[in-house]
Amino acid sequence: MGDSIVKFLETWSPIDVVLIAQNFDRFLWGALTTLELTLISLVIGGILSIPLAIIRAGNNPILNAPVWVFTYVFRGTPLLVQTYLIYYGLGQFEWIRETFLWGPILSQAWYCALVAFSLNTAAYTTELLRGSIVNTNRGEVEAAKACGFSKAMRLRRIVLPSAFRRALPAYSNEVIFMLHGSVVASTITIQDLLGVGRWLNGRYYLAYEGFITAAVLYFIIVLMISRGFRFWEKHWLAHLYPRDAVKTKPKKGLASFRI
Amino acid sequence: MSDSSGDHAALEVVDLHKSFGEVEVIRGVSMSAHKGDVISILGASGSGKSTFLRCINLLEIPTAGDVYVAGEKIRMKNDNSGGYLPEDIHQVERLRARLGMVFQSFNLWSHMTVIENVIEAPIHVLKIAKAEAIEQAEALLKKVGIYDRKDYYPAQLSGGQQQRVAIARGLAMNPAVMLFDEPTSALDPELVGEVLKVMRDLAEEGRTMLVVTHEMGFARDVSSSVVFLHEGKIEEQGEPQQMFKNPNSDRFRQFLSRTMQ
Repeated sequence: MGDSIVKFLETWSPIDVVLIAQNFDRFLWGALTTLELTLISLVIGGILSIPLAIIRAGNNPILNAPVWVFTYVFRGTPLLVQTYLIYYGLGQFEWIRETFLWGPILSQAWYCALVAFSLNTAAYTTELLRGSIVNTNRGEVEAAKACGFSKAMRLRRIVLPSAFRRALPAYSNEVIFMLHGSVVASTITIQDLLGVGRWLNGRYYLAYEGFITAAVLYFIIVLMISRGFRFWEKHWLAHLYPRDAVKTKPKKGLASFRI
Repeated sequence: MSDSSGDHAALEVVDLHKSFGEVEVIRGVSMSAHKGDVISILGASGSGKSTFLRCINLLEIPTAGDVYVAGEKIRMKNDNSGGYLPEDIHQVERLRARLGMVFQSFNLWSHMTVIENVIEAPIHVLKIAKAEAIEQAEALLKKVGIYDRKDYYPAQLSGGQQQRVAIARGLAMNPAVMLFDEPTSALDPELVGEVLKVMRDLAEEGRTMLVVTHEMGFARDVSSSVVFLHEGKIEEQGEPQQMFKNPNSDRFRQFLSRTMQ
């Protein structure tokens, strides 16, 4: 029975399913590397972006200028170029090779990708959060002032909690972009999800098998990410929806109303 | 309810001035409110009445003049370029907490439920224990008649309900004076009554209130005195019945004839 299925697939299937099945564990490990790189970059970039966004939203020109340069440089150049500059470029400088960062971090492709991705997503998230902070309802901030909140307290209790929530839908895009952007890692020797596809293609000259498998797995990950964000939005953005929509499950017909 | 600070006025404003650039909006206004006073501040739009109210808790920084809250002067200083600034922002924050403020546009914190809005400042500014803050907030929400909506978010309430929550939020600070900045102006006409009723109840229980308003009925029937502002100055002030019956100044008479139609 099993043999006949294999035989059928080998003879009739347009793509080599058996080869994919044989290498499927490699794809899963690749997906794990992709997820690892993406998630850790998002965490580091997200943490970096909070103070940077506060600076960008403020009006201190001395602090604002360098952050502005950082976000514009990293949003204005391709992620691939940034990754190359860190992976290939930094090694040219002897003094960098002599620092303590070289051995454990900057000489390793994985860490180079992590540094590039983290800084890249930090730049995008900074500007996203800045917009959200700046658009905080002025009246709400004034009400906090009138209640005797200090500036730091207003930021911590009113402005940031409100800004994070409003930034959530846009941030889900940033997460998906970062996941897709992480394919860059495969160009600097890392066996991420696309890296495994490339390896399969290079070894067997079978483009479809490797790349379609990678594409399908990316697609599944994106589906899971958007489901996750839907869930979070329902929880954290409950204050934006009418009460009934929070309590009762929307009907099937209505579900398509939400984009 | 509010504090018993001897013979100090709950609030005293002395010769307050405020300019925006070249334009002087408040041109020397003095006023004092004793415990239990309900002062209605009237005036045409542009007369500076909202600005005056916002200068009291320094949401706008006055250009000159002094504000005393329960006898304590808000310390101001002149900076190098001649600007007038608060000397100690911590003092300002402490005294702001003694002045409850209700805004025209409610300004509830939209990401917090009704009860969270009311306990927020008592917990984080007055450092009251959470359980105690909740107990007090629930009592206040019952008083303004919105207890059954305590777990709703502001956007899920009508304007009148939101404004009553905002009043409860102000009261939760147990303030020496409540400041109302046109509290009913943003409401649909049929919702004005429920907010005015809450304010009337507060007046009756002896709250000290400063109310910038267009509600002539409230000014005449509820307040203990009325101040009429015109072009940044007090044009006329006095006991409401008297003022509404026999206005002294032509401007107040004109204002009345325009608004009481």
